[in-house]
Amino acid sequence: MRPRRFGTAELLLLLSILILVVVVAIPILLIFWNAFVVEGKPDFLRALALLKEPDTLEALKNSLVIAGGTTVLSTIIGVFFAWLVSRTDLPYKATMKVLFLVPFMLPSFIGALAWKILLSPRGGHINRLLMDLLHLEDPVFNIMSLGGIIAVETMYLFPFVFIQVSGALERMDPTLEEAARISGAGLFTITRRITLPLMMPSILAGALLVALYSLAHFGVPAILGTERNIFIIPTKIYEKIYASGGNFEAIRTGTMLSSILVLSAAAILYLQSLVLSSGRFQVISGKSMRPMVLKLRGLKWPLLILSVVYIALTVVLPTATIFLVGTLKTYGLAFKLENMTLDNFTYILFKWELTRDAIWNSFYLSLCAAAVTMLIGTLISYVLVKTKIRGKFLLEFLGVLPFSVPGTVIALGVILMWSGRFGVNLYNTAWIIFVAYIARYMAFALKSTSAALEQVHDSLEEAARACGASKWQAMKDVVLPLIKPGMVAAFFLIFLPALRELTTSVLLYGPHTRTIGVAIYTLNEDGETVYAAALAAIALVIIVLGQLLIKRVTRAKIESA
Amino acid sequence: MRRSLLPLLLAFAFLGGTLQAQEKVMVYTSMKESLMGKLRDAFKKKQPNVAFDYYSAGAGKVMAKLAAERQAGKVAADILWHSEVPDFFQLKAEGMFEPYASPEAGAIRSTVTDPDKTFAIARLGTLGIVYNTDNAAKVGKVPKTWADLLDPAFKNKVTIANPALSGTSFMSCAMLVEKFGWDYFAKLKANGAKIGQGSGQVVDDTASGDFTICIGVDYIALDKIQKGAHLKLVFPPEMLVIPSPIAIMKTSPNKPAAKKFIDFLLSKEGQSIITASGTLPARVDVPIDKSMGLVAPEEAIKRAIKLDYPAAIKLKEGFVKQFEKTLR
Repeated sequence: MRPRRFGTAELLLLLSILILVVVVAIPILLIFWNAFVVEGKPDFLRALALLKEPDTLEALKNSLVIAGGTTVLSTIIGVFFAWLVSRTDLPYKATMKVLFLVPFMLPSFIGALAWKILLSPRGGHINRLLMDLLHLEDPVFNIMSLGGIIAVETMYLFPFVFIQVSGALERMDPTLEEAARISGAGLFTITRRITLPLMMPSILAGALLVALYSLAHFGVPAILGTERNIFIIPTKIYEKIYASGGNFEAIRTGTMLSSILVLSAAAILYLQSLVLSSGRFQVISGKSMRPMVLKLRGLKWPLLILSVVYIALTVVLPTATIFLVGTLKTYGLAFKLENMTLDNFTYILFKWELTRDAIWNSFYLSLCAAAVTMLIGTLISYVLVKTKIRGKFLLEFLGVLPFSVPGTVIALGVILMWSGRFGVNLYNTAWIIFVAYIARYMAFALKSTSAALEQVHDSLEEAARACGASKWQAMKDVVLPLIKPGMVAAFFLIFLPALRELTTSVLLYGPHTRTIGVAIYTLNEDGETVYAAALAAIALVIIVLGQLLIKRVTRAKIESA
Repeated sequence: MRRSLLPLLLAFAFLGGTLQAQEKVMVYTSMKESLMGKLRDAFKKKQPNVAFDYYSAGAGKVMAKLAAERQAGKVAADILWHSEVPDFFQLKAEGMFEPYASPEAGAIRSTVTDPDKTFAIARLGTLGIVYNTDNAAKVGKVPKTWADLLDPAFKNKVTIANPALSGTSFMSCAMLVEKFGWDYFAKLKANGAKIGQGSGQVVDDTASGDFTICIGVDYIALDKIQKGAHLKLVFPPEMLVIPSPIAIMKTSPNKPAAKKFIDFLLSKEGQSIITASGTLPARVDVPIDKSMGLVAPEEAIKRAIKLDYPAAIKLKEGFVKQFEKTLR
């Protein structure tokens, strides 16, 4: 039988390609086009001249310093704690392992706000306390500096490394180390010659994730840097766009900086794929084996205390600060009962359109974006994983794009595409944020749905077809139920980050479409610190409730399966 | 059941996002919630059929947003209200405003007026020296005059909102340059003065003790003082009086509602709310509450540093650059 030339599979492929082209590819192309093409002609010299402006150059330098510093520091801390919970006899290891993941839950810009309150040079509570106690003229810490930004980003990004490395350490075949030990190698030699090389791919993978995230990150440098004239690429783009008033030169500089972001992200991802595909280190076996455990002896309790103190300092202290400041009558008062009130919370929950709308906007935008992106992602993954047709390579290429596009770039891309120049004007509406979220979170949906689809063997679908089921029936009754957990996971993987999103929406919000992140950020910018803190506290409550909900839903799924 | 829940929720979400009241008005303003909130509550009581909302940011950001919206051909603002007076002359020249002679405008007095009625003055903002009382007590000095900001006792402890972001700061700095010359700012720089962010943030940074002194807007500082902040607001002899013009956008599809809001704002009731929030009313027949520490409008206007407002348009671009160069 000759294959039909155009069937359902081709249609699905075409649809998938179309969606990815419209949502991701064209916005990125527009960025490069606007950056390097002037009046229809390519003009790289002009692009270079713009980059030589002292303020853009400075932003580039700061980006490198911050991303580099954060990566190195996160790697050291992540590897150390991963080793501690998986390779030593640290007490309460299991609990500590869960605790080290908690910093992930705290949105880093809320963390930054808390640290600004605690450690701004002369106003920060800790600095004031130290200055009073030690009778100092000058503040001890300055969180509003390059070092401060690196420290705060590290606090909330090190789990990237921690997860990768602790997972790998646990799965590592302990016989390799034992063999070395039997051959007479000491602990130091084993660590250096066996364990570290084996862990290298995981360490690098985690480190590159941190680098990727830190390079594109807006919140922390915006809150801690902008006030002190410290800019990085994303905050510089934000400043350019907002200072421009539609002036095209400024937007062009933005596109140029965006191009640099995209290229560096692509380079990082390329490195990552190199690391992950290097077969040299495929020595992690699937069998569960008890790895060699180092006895900490006298260091056991001090190291536990160190870990607990670390969690307390990076999670409990900032969270408590946010809640406490949220109750202050006005910023700068001491934390005394007579200075505290719940009015801020009732005001922002019930009276103030800005904050009330922000909570509602974030909620329904994340809900819609998660549902739609998850469905589109499933469709695309299905075509990628389950069909064998010509032209698939195009989709494969397009499918990689969402992974390498930072939030700031997506925002700029959708501004270029959806503000009336091509017939559709979504400017100032919730739709423009919605479109941007689809592009931004497509990678998450693709990752988890394609993983789920790969586990469904083709024979299952074929068996259904052989029994007379139509393609659609086979899909509905066999494939979909099997990949449902993957789809649910994709939904929540998008819903939760979207709920606290700042980087993209801060460039796209209109007077009616502020999100929680934008509201907290602008409140801070407007000097409404106590309201910003109160809203941040509410956001934290919502996020924790969301996490608990996921736990329940996913556990119910596992039990029913 | 669970399967039917998600689409329903989605439908609700989109409905909720697009639901509209019959009449509405959107104000783009640099006024903060402590002022706008009270106006909104009173206006809603008076005009329950008008859905009132506002977008508040520094004048610089408001103007950038407006410009971007004009580029995109979709202006969401019905009313523009901030304190960077030259912008109003500029937009008037570009024909962006709908002239409106409010019946309430007769009782308005100000340092600037528009004979063509394209904008009205809705408030006389005053800026003074805001200082942190704890920090000042520590050095045993209290700032009273503009010259006191140059006192070595306050070295590295003075902050001024960025005139590129804040309209009131732009006007204030323009006035201070008019009166004391760029030399004054060069001396401020020598004394370690820092450019801050917006007009709200410099006050909060002073309240927290990060800085000891800022040049602060009356109602922003007074709101925080009323809530117990350890701040004090003083007005030096040479006063900064900044009128805040309000205008209806030509592009507005909601002009009747916009006019209702302007009438309300300029009325005795609206102006009483303005002054109760801690700033000066523009109406002659609204008394001020002296206990807050405000200077009566007549006296404030007399003490104000004069500025040629229409000419200040040309000033703009160069001014911000010069400011950056002097203080950064």
